[in-house]
Amino acid sequence: MRRAAALAPLMLGLVAASGAARAQEATGEITIWSWDIAAAALERVAQDFMAQNPGVTVTVEDLGNQQVFDRTLAGCAAGGADLPDIVSVENHEAEIFWAQFPDCFADLTTLGYDETAAGAFPEFKRTELMAGDAVYGMPWDSGPVVVFYRRDFYENAGVDPSTIATWDDFIAAGQKVQEANPGVSMTQGDLNGDTEWFRMLANEQGCGYFSNDAASITISQPGCVAALDTYKKLVDAGLVGAANWGEKISSNNAGTVASQLYGGWYEGTIRTGVPADQAGKWGVYQMPSVSADGARAANLGGSALAITSASDAPEAAFAYLQYALGSSEGQVTMLREFGLVPSLLTAVEDPYVQEASDFWGGQAVWQDVLATLPNINPSRGTPFFGDADAILRTVQTGFLNGEYESAQAALDDAASQIEAVTGLPVAAAQ
Amino acid sequence: MRRRNITAYGFLAPYLLIFAAFWVWPIIYSFWLSFLFTRRQPWTFNPNTTWGRLVEDPAFWNALKNTLVILVVQVPIMIALATVLAVLLNSTLLRARGLMRFAFFAPVVVGEVAYAAVFRLIFSEDLGFVNKALAAIGLPEVAWFSSPTAAMALIIMAVTWRWAGYNAIIILSGLQSIPDDVYEAATLDRVSPVRQFFFITLPLLKPVILFCVVLSVIGTMQLFAEPFLITNEGGPGSATETLGLFLYLQGFRVLNFGYASAVAYTIAALAVLISLLNMWAGRERA
Amino acid sequence: MTTLPAAAPLRSRSRARSRLWRAILLHAVMVPLALLWLLPLWLMFVFATMPDQGIFSPGINLLPQDRFMENVRALEAETGFLRTFVNSVLVALVYTALSVLLTSMAGWALVRYRFWGKGLVLAIILGTLTLPYFVVVIPQYILVARDLGLTNTWFALIVPPLFNSLGVLFMRQSFSMMPQELFDAARVEGVKEWQIFTRVALPMAKPTLAALSIILFLASWNNYLWPLLVATQSHMMTAPVALGSLIGLTRVSWGAIMAGAVLLTAPMLLVFVFLQRWFMSGITAGAVK
Repeated sequence: MRRAAALAPLMLGLVAASGAARAQEATGEITIWSWDIAAAALERVAQDFMAQNPGVTVTVEDLGNQQVFDRTLAGCAAGGADLPDIVSVENHEAEIFWAQFPDCFADLTTLGYDETAAGAFPEFKRTELMAGDAVYGMPWDSGPVVVFYRRDFYENAGVDPSTIATWDDFIAAGQKVQEANPGVSMTQGDLNGDTEWFRMLANEQGCGYFSNDAASITISQPGCVAALDTYKKLVDAGLVGAANWGEKISSNNAGTVASQLYGGWYEGTIRTGVPADQAGKWGVYQMPSVSADGARAANLGGSALAITSASDAPEAAFAYLQYALGSSEGQVTMLREFGLVPSLLTAVEDPYVQEASDFWGGQAVWQDVLATLPNINPSRGTPFFGDADAILRTVQTGFLNGEYESAQAALDDAASQIEAVTGLPVAAAQ
Repeated sequence: MRRRNITAYGFLAPYLLIFAAFWVWPIIYSFWLSFLFTRRQPWTFNPNTTWGRLVEDPAFWNALKNTLVILVVQVPIMIALATVLAVLLNSTLLRARGLMRFAFFAPVVVGEVAYAAVFRLIFSEDLGFVNKALAAIGLPEVAWFSSPTAAMALIIMAVTWRWAGYNAIIILSGLQSIPDDVYEAATLDRVSPVRQFFFITLPLLKPVILFCVVLSVIGTMQLFAEPFLITNEGGPGSATETLGLFLYLQGFRVLNFGYASAVAYTIAALAVLISLLNMWAGRERA
Repeated sequence: MTTLPAAAPLRSRSRARSRLWRAILLHAVMVPLALLWLLPLWLMFVFATMPDQGIFSPGINLLPQDRFMENVRALEAETGFLRTFVNSVLVALVYTALSVLLTSMAGWALVRYRFWGKGLVLAIILGTLTLPYFVVVIPQYILVARDLGLTNTWFALIVPPLFNSLGVLFMRQSFSMMPQELFDAARVEGVKEWQIFTRVALPMAKPTLAALSIILFLASWNNYLWPLLVATQSHMMTAPVALGSLIGLTRVSWGAIMAGAVLLTAPMLLVFVFLQRWFMSGITAGAVK
C-alpha cells in the first residue's frame, strides 16, 4: 500500500497522458494469453504500444478460450509457475480465480490503478474484478446482445426485422425465412450443451444463476424460467440449427444461417471473417423480448486483463494495460478494427461510434448496439459460476429432450443441485 | 542369503523407487485428500463435501450411469465382434489376409487424439461425411452431438472401432494355440463349422476372452479422451460424461482435488469389483 | 489343411463346392467390414490434403487432393507442431529406454533370486494390473506440479509414467524360459551378477525386448492425459497435447488438424506394417499369463 501511495501521483498523470509517459521507463518482455479475435485485437494494439515503448516486447499467444481458462487455473494451482505476464479473464469467470488463488495475481492498486483510473469504467464491469480491497483485473470489453442478421435472407421472405419485437414474432419470422431460403437455418445454438442462449435470455429477463450480492441462488426465479421456456420454444420450432462456435462461423461464411444472437463483440467476427461478397448483406437489430413491452437488452461475455504475480515485468505489463484498456486510443482501435465493445466510458463517446458502416448496409451499428448499454441488468458470475454452469448444461439438455415436466421443474432441480454444491441458499419464490 | 537379498533389491530398486514415489505415496495421499474440503485455502477436514457429496451428487450418478451403459452395451458388442473377427481372420479361406489384418489392427496404433479428431470431423452434424453419406442413401441425418442417444452411440462406435482389433489380436493368439487336430477330428465327424465354433472354439477361448473383458472393463472405467474430445466434454449436456471425464473435470477444471480423490477411489473400487466378478463368473462355468 | 485321399472324388467335389460357398460368404462379410474399418483412416489422409471448403462441400469426396503441404505449413504456423513432434520423439525414446531397463532389471530379479519379500513384490505388480491409473493421477499431479514445481520439464513428462507392471511380467516370463544352467555356469566362472544380466541374459531376450520396446514406445507416443496436465507451455507440449488443443479452435482449419493427425499416425502405421510380428507379440504378452 505504501508503495502504491508513492506511485499514485505518477499514475494520475499517466491516465491523463494516455499511458506514454510512464511507459518510457518500462522495459521487458511480456507475454499475453488470449483467444480468437480478442487476441488479434491485443496483438494489433501491441504494435502501437511497442512503437511508443521501444523497451518493451509484447507477445500475444492465442490459445482459445477454454485453454486460457484451464491453463491459467492449472498454472495457479502449480504455484504460479509457467504463467504468462498477462492473462485474459472473462468477467463471469473472474471470481473463480480470485477465490481460489488470490496470490496468483498482482493487486493492480499496488501498480498504480487508483480510484480515478478505476472510475473510468462502469460499476457493473468492476464488481467481479475485486476481492476485498484488492483489484485483480482491469475491465476490457462488454457484450451488449443484439441479433446479427442477413438482410437478403430476410428480404427473400418478406420479413422486416423492425417488426420483430417478441420471441413469438421471431419464431413466426423464422418460419418464413426458412421457407423462403431452403437450406438456411433461422439461427443457431450450441445444442451440445453451451448455456449462452439461456444466459442471454435470462439476463434480458433480469435473472441469473446467482443474485447480484452472490448470496443466493436465483436460477429458479420467473425470469430464468421464461428464458428456458423461450429457448425450448425456439428449438422445438426447428429454428435453432446445432452449431458450436466454430461451426457458426463456417455457417456464416457458407451463407447457411440467417441470424446469430450474440454480444456486440461478434461484429468483428462476422465482418472480418465472411467472404467479401457478403459485404452490405448483414445488419443488426435489437434482441426480441418475451413480452411486447419487455426488456430488449442483455449482456454476454466481456472480459478483463489480469497481471500474474509470476510476471517479471509487472510495470511494463501494467503500462500495456493502461494503453490497451485505459486509453481511448487503444480501446477505439480495438472497436474499429475488431468490433470489441469498449467499456471505457470515454471511448463509448468517440465519434467513430456514430459512423455508418458499408459492410452493415449503411447502418450505424455501434450506435444501435451501444444504445442498449444503459438498459442492461447486471449479472454476477461469482466463484461458483463453473459449478452452476455445469449443472445447467445437464439440466438444459434434459429439458430440451423432454425429461422434465416444465421449465420450472427443471430449474428447481438445477437450483437444488447448485445448492448442494455451493452451500448457498436458493432464493425464495417471488 | 543376505547377499542375495542385496543383489535382488539392487535390481529391483529403481523400479520400486518409482513405484513408491509415484504410486504408493499418491494412493495414500489421495485417500487423505478424499476427506478434505479443497475449494478454499487452507484445506480443511470435511468429508461431507467429498464422500457425503458423492452419494447425493446427481452429476456423479449420471457419470456412473453413462459408464455402466458403455460397459453393458459396448463391451459385449466389441468382444463378440473381436471374437468373430479373430475366427474369420484365422480362416484358411481368407484372401488378402495381410490387408485384412491391417484394416482391423491398424486402429490399435492410432492415438486417442488423432482418432478423436477424425471422428469429431466426420460426424459433424452440418456437412459432415457421415451425414452426407446417410443423406446420399436416403436416410435421415443424425444430430450426433445434440441428441443424447446419438452422442452415446457415437462414443460406442468410436471406442469399438479403436479397440475391436486390439482384442481380436489377443483372441487370435489364443485361437492359434488351439491344436489343429481338434478341428480335424471334428471335421471328420461332420461337425459343421458353426457348431465347431460354439462347441470347440468358444469354450477353449474362454480364458483369453475373459482376459479381454477384464482389460475392457478397466479401460471403460477410465474412458476419458473420447468424450472429452469427440463429444466436446461429454456433451450434449453431460449425456456422454463418463466417470473418467467427471474425475478430470472435478480435478482439473474446478480444481476440487478432495472431491475428485473420492471419485478416483470409487472408480478404482468399482474396477476391481467388476473385474473380480468377471473372473468369478468365468471360473464358475469353466 | 491335410491333403484329401485320392479315392474319394465325389465327396471331395461336394466339399470343394461347399468350400467355395463358404469362401464367398466369408468375403461377403469381411470385405465390406474391412473397408468400413479402413474408412476413418482413409478419410483422415484425404481430409489432410484438402482445404476446408473441400471437406465441408456438399458433395462426397473420397480422393486426395494436393493441399497436404499447405495444411502442414498452416499447422506449423499455428502451433509450432514440429517442435512438439520432436518433443514427442525424445520423450518416447528416453521413456522406452528407461522403462525397458527398469522393467527388465525387475523381471530379472524376480526370476533369478529368492529373496525376502518376493511374494509381496509379485503380488503388488499383479495387483496394480487391475488398478485404474485414474486413482493416482490427482495426487501425482499435486506432487509433481505443486510440491515439486516440475511442470513443463522433461522429468515430469518421462519419469512418473515409468512404472508399469506389464513390462515386468513380460520380461520375467522371457527370462524364466531361458536355460538357467547357463547363468549358473557364468556365476561359477566368477562373472559379476550385473554382467550376467547385461552380457548373457539381455542379449538372449532380444525378441522380447524388441516387442516390449515397440509397445512402450507406442504407449508413450500416444499418451495424452498426463502430458496434458504437466505440459502447459507450448514449447514443452507433446504432439498429441498440441493437436488436442486445436480441436474446437476456430482459426485452425480442419485440414491442418487432419494433417497433424496424419503426422502423428503415419510413423506408427509404418512401425506396425514393418515390425508386425514383434508388435503382435507385445500386445498378446499380457494374455499369455
